[in-house]
Parts: sequence; C-alpha cells; structure tokens
Amino acid sequence: MPKLDATKLSALKNLLKKNNLDGIVISDYTDMKYVLGEIFLPGEAVLLAHKKGIYVTSRSLYAATVKAAYPQIKIEACDSHRELKITETAKKLGLKKISFDKNKEIYVAGAAYAAAGFEPSEGLMESLRTSKTKSELLTMRKATEIALATFTHIQKFLKPGVTEKQIAAEMDNFMKSKGASGVSFDTMVSFGAASANPHYSTGDAKLKKNTVILFDYGCIYKGYCSDMTRTIWFGGKPSAEFKKVYSVVKGAYDAVVKNAKEGMLGEQIDSIARNYIKEAGYGQYFTHGLGHGIGMNIHEEAYVNPENGKKKIMRNYCFSVEPGVYLTGKFGVRYEDCYYMTPKGINLISKAK
Amino acid sequence: MKHTDEKLKNFQALLKKNGIDAFAVTDVVSINLLTDFYFAGQGDSFLLVTPRKAYCFTKPLYLIDLKHKTPYLNLIDSLNPADVAAKASELKAKNKCFDSFAIDYLSGKLFFNAGFKEKGGFLAASREVKTATEIKKMRKACGISFAAYEEFKKNLKTGMSETAAAKMLEGIMERMGGQGLAFDTIVCFGENSANPHHVPCERKLKNNEPVLIDYGCKFEGYCSDITRTFWHGAKPSSRFNKIFDIVKGSHDFAFKRVKNPVAATEVDAACKQYMEDCQSGISKYFIHGLGHGLGTQIHEAPFISARSKDILKKGNVFSIEPGLYFEGEFGVRYEDTVLLDDKGAKILTK
Repeated sequence: MPKLDATKLSALKNLLKKNNLDGIVISDYTDMKYVLGEIFLPGEAVLLAHKKGIYVTSRSLYAATVKAAYPQIKIEACDSHRELKITETAKKLGLKKISFDKNKEIYVAGAAYAAAGFEPSEGLMESLRTSKTKSELLTMRKATEIALATFTHIQKFLKPGVTEKQIAAEMDNFMKSKGASGVSFDTMVSFGAASANPHYSTGDAKLKKNTVILFDYGCIYKGYCSDMTRTIWFGGKPSAEFKKVYSVVKGAYDAVVKNAKEGMLGEQIDSIARNYIKEAGYGQYFTHGLGHGIGMNIHEEAYVNPENGKKKIMRNYCFSVEPGVYLTGKFGVRYEDCYYMTPKGINLISKAK
Repeated sequence: MKHTDEKLKNFQALLKKNGIDAFAVTDVVSINLLTDFYFAGQGDSFLLVTPRKAYCFTKPLYLIDLKHKTPYLNLIDSLNPADVAAKASELKAKNKCFDSFAIDYLSGKLFFNAGFKEKGGFLAASREVKTATEIKKMRKACGISFAAYEEFKKNLKTGMSETAAAKMLEGIMERMGGQGLAFDTIVCFGENSANPHHVPCERKLKNNEPVLIDYGCKFEGYCSDITRTFWHGAKPSSRFNKIFDIVKGSHDFAFKRVKNPVAATEVDAACKQYMEDCQSGISKYFIHGLGHGLGTQIHEAPFISARSKDILKKGNVFSIEPGLYFEGEFGVRYEDTVLLDDKGAKILTK
C-alpha cells in the first residue's frame, strides 16, 4: 500500500505558501503519482491540494482503495466532468486563490476553472518534482545501476547475424529480471548507418562485422527512470573516422562533466558541449539538445538545450548529458549518462549517496 | 512496417461529412494514430487536417524520418500552435475546430481566440470504428494473450509471489510475440482478488485459493485485454464455483446481447439482470462498468456502463468484463476482448 510521504506533503504546503495560494488543482498523471503513489490510471482522478489537506475526486472504482490507503483524505466518486466537483468543493471549503496548470488541464476543464476564478499557472508541480529528495536519488541510482549492468550483460550477445530487435528484447528481459518494472522508453538498438538517425526505431537489420552499434535505453525502477546511451564498434578495427568522431563526442561529454555548475541556465550547459563540438568542426552534425530532465518521467523539466533551457539548473536537479554527432549515410555516435547537480558541480546518478 | 494514411483518410472523410474545413490536433495519441508515425511525447508535433490535406508541425529531429515514411504529410518545421492557427487562416478555412477534451487549456484558448470551435470528444469518437488493418493487429494481440493463459496456468506454482507470477506472465506474452504490455499486469491471489485494481505484491500463492489475472499485450501498437479467475488447487470451494458460474454466465449473456447497433446501457442492464436472476441482490457486488473500448489505448470509447450514452456499432472493439467482489474474501472477473462487425459480436481473445 502506498503511504503519504511527509517530505513531499510539507513541500506541497510550502509551495502553496510561497505562491500565496489556498489550493492547487492536480490532475496530471505523474503529479498525482508524486503526491499519492501509483493508484489512478491517467485521467481518472483529480486532486485539490489545499491548506488543510487533500480532496480527491475519482472514478468510483477507486474509492475503496483510496479510503483504505489514506483514511485522512476525503474522496468523492465522480465519473465525468470532475472539474465541476472541484469548483464546487473549493467553494464549499471557502478557498479563494486556487491555481491550475494551463498546460496540463484539458480545455473544457481549464475553461471551467477559469470561469470559477481559478488562476492559470504553469510548472508549479514541476518546481516540486525537479529537485529530487535523497530517497528519490537513491531509487534513480538503482534504476541506473540496472541499465549499466545491462550494457555489460549484452556484450556476449553481440554476434554476427543477431538482429537489432533480438538484442533489444534481450536487454529488456535482463532489465526486468534485475527488478525493473519496465523500460522507460522503447529500447533503441541501431546498426551502421541507422545510428546516424537519432530517432531510429529498432528494426530487423542483422549484425555484421566492422560496424557501429548504438544502444539508447533505460528502465523504470519503483516508478523512476534511467536513461543511457553507448556507441561501440563491433568486430575488427574501428575506422579512423569513427575514432575521431567518438573522441569529439566523448570530449564534449567530459567538458560538460567538468564545467557544468549549479545556477547555470540549461542552455549554458548545452553550449559547453555545443562549442566543443563546433570547435572540432562537427557543429552542424550535433542535431539535438544536450539533455533533458529525468525522474518519474523520462523527459521532464531541467532541460539542458537551446530551445527550452532558459531555467537555472539547481541542486538535485537530474538530467541527461547526451552529446552526439550524426553523419547521415555513415554512422552516428552518442554518449549519455544521467547526472544530478550539487554545489560542487554534477555527479553521476549511478554514484548518488 | 509500412506506414499508411488509412486512418488519416478515414478522418478526412469524417471531416467532410461534418462540414469541417480544418481540424487542429495536438494530443500525441491522436497524432500518432492519424499519421501512423510514432512521436515520442506530447508536444512533439501538431496536426492541421483538412478534408484533402494534412499539415504536420514538428521539430527537425523528426523531419528526416517523416520525409521517408509519411509522404502523405506536408511537413512544417515549427512547434508554435500560433503557426497552426495561421495556416488555417492562410487556407481560408471557414469551419475550423479543435477537440476541447483533447487539448491543453493554453493551446485551446489560442485556437478558441483564433475562431476555432469546440468539438469535445470528436477525436475519441473518430477512433471508435476500427479499420480492417487495425482489427488484424488487435486479433493478433488478443490471440497472444489468450494463448498465454494456458501456459501461465501450467507454470504457476504454490509459493510463487504475485510479482513473480506477473513477471512470468509478461515473459510468456513476450516469447509468444507480444510487443510490450497493454497495461501493468494484475495478478491477485486469494483475498486480493476482491480489489479490482490490486497492484501485485509479495503475497505468496497458497494451495486451494482463487487466482485472478487481468492482463494484455500490444501488437504493432494495438492492445488486448483479458481476465481469467481460476482456482489453484484440487478443491474449489462451492462458494467459488457458484460465484464463478454467475459471473461467467453473465458474461455470456451480455455477449449474446451485443448486436449492431445496440445501446451500451442495454448490454450492461442485461448483464446485471442475469446476475439478479441467479441471486437476488448480488449485482451490488459488481462495482465497476461492464466494459470499455480499446485500440492503441487500453481505455477508449465506447464505454459500457449504466451511465454510458454510447451506442455499440460495427467496427467497435471493446471488453466485456463482469465481476463480483467480496471484500476480505475473494473476487471473480471474467473478461474477453470483443469485436462487433456486421455479422454480430466475435470474441477476439481466443
């Protein structure tokens, strides 16, 4: 049975206080999971967290589960248009300033909240979730350790003739056998020229000698994600061009590890890698951002890229560092691990203490 | 896998039928379905569909792949919803719409202010009728799930935990060709079967007690859903047998009521009536809806319950899953995934 996490609840109360709010509407799947643990399927409940407690309205099916798990929470069954229950309850409780997330609420719900005088906001729940608690970091460490062990495990499977899908399936099974509940996204295994497509879907290509293999994968452990990428040369001697590109990508990665500091904007951290690759002459081939935040979601706040990296990266923010260089028609190289920010710079999540 | 514009064409025909000149789509489930392309997350792309064309707004990362795989899309390198609205104006679309149930408030407001009309539920409704290709994929996903049941039963051992049994079941589906799970596998032993949304835990299986499994896999993106309850051990209690017979009987009775077309409430009522006819007052222990549509999502329209306004019709794929739950004691649920076509209802999980 899930338990109410006291650390998270007091953080939620502080959030209300800090933003001068009487309440906040929570309906996003991950946000609900963060507060109450894994109970509801997406779109089957709405929470109203307020100064005195939490009100829940959900599909009737869940009423018994919630009552048993959280006797202190008031729950009402409602099978459609839960936003009306929420506005009603807010009125009954005399809550004045209530916020809803304008990016997460669907239009009909948001329009009902706006009509009831609730205020649109954005990213309030993310601001809670982005900085991880110690126990969250340790859970993410475990998820990462499983992924790391998988890379070691898969080496003996790499034989000529094996397909991308077979390798991916073996990796997925191994992660589950080590305690993962599933993969954090579809495991990507790409051979040869396919590795030059950063958005490749694992296919039926057969492994040949003297080629590049790129692995991008991760798992979910107790609700938290891991994510890592490795690129290797299979069989024979790596080509000079591969060696060159690999050293550029790894050099960019190392430069980020050395120079990323607390308080930098996401885009500033991105530019450490981007400048390094540019100076090496491969600037135009680094076609995506340096990384994304990671936690309960595989992609979340703490983006370190030029498009949405306008926020400061603060203590215990977790994000991927994944520079890459892609030579269309030839091969691509990406190297990725996930890090968390500390006052002394970034640390590997796999070494979180 | 070859990418097709089959779904897109169906949707365009639907737009034409409803006199809609342009439809803005922003939710990733609808976009992936209409484009037959896999965008990894919400916000990775937008669509503007007209009765004749489809404009896909996305980021450079996806463009390389899209160019090759989806020649039926007009690609635009932008992720600004304002550009979607501007395109609709440029096309001089008069009747412009968006789905107010399937769009975030901020983007919805932008479209609303740009003269788009609210069409709540239009996208969900457009998914209700499956194409022949979709049915083929669902048949395959359902076949795998069904076959996994016997294999699971054979390998289930006293002393095994619910989590271990769930992993075993997932492994069987994967070996049989399943491509991932339709939802988190539910395995309940003994009294845990009385909770329809139980999450597998370390509870170990004892001899002579009920086992409930509710699970499904995906095949090429499409879901299957099946539930079986059985007695582990040689001597089912007479109470278990009695409840099982009521549930199974109500499932079969409801299935027979499915025809093209029929009100969902009629099927739900028939199921409850059957239960009541077996034992007066027992249907109050049936604490959830009778069934739900499924497709690329595990829950979608049509919904079968006492409150549903949906009409079941040709091309719908949905679950029929009556159950009876006795807290602290045990529960029984029996579920198949069913296709309704012009000849009537067919069970896919077989």
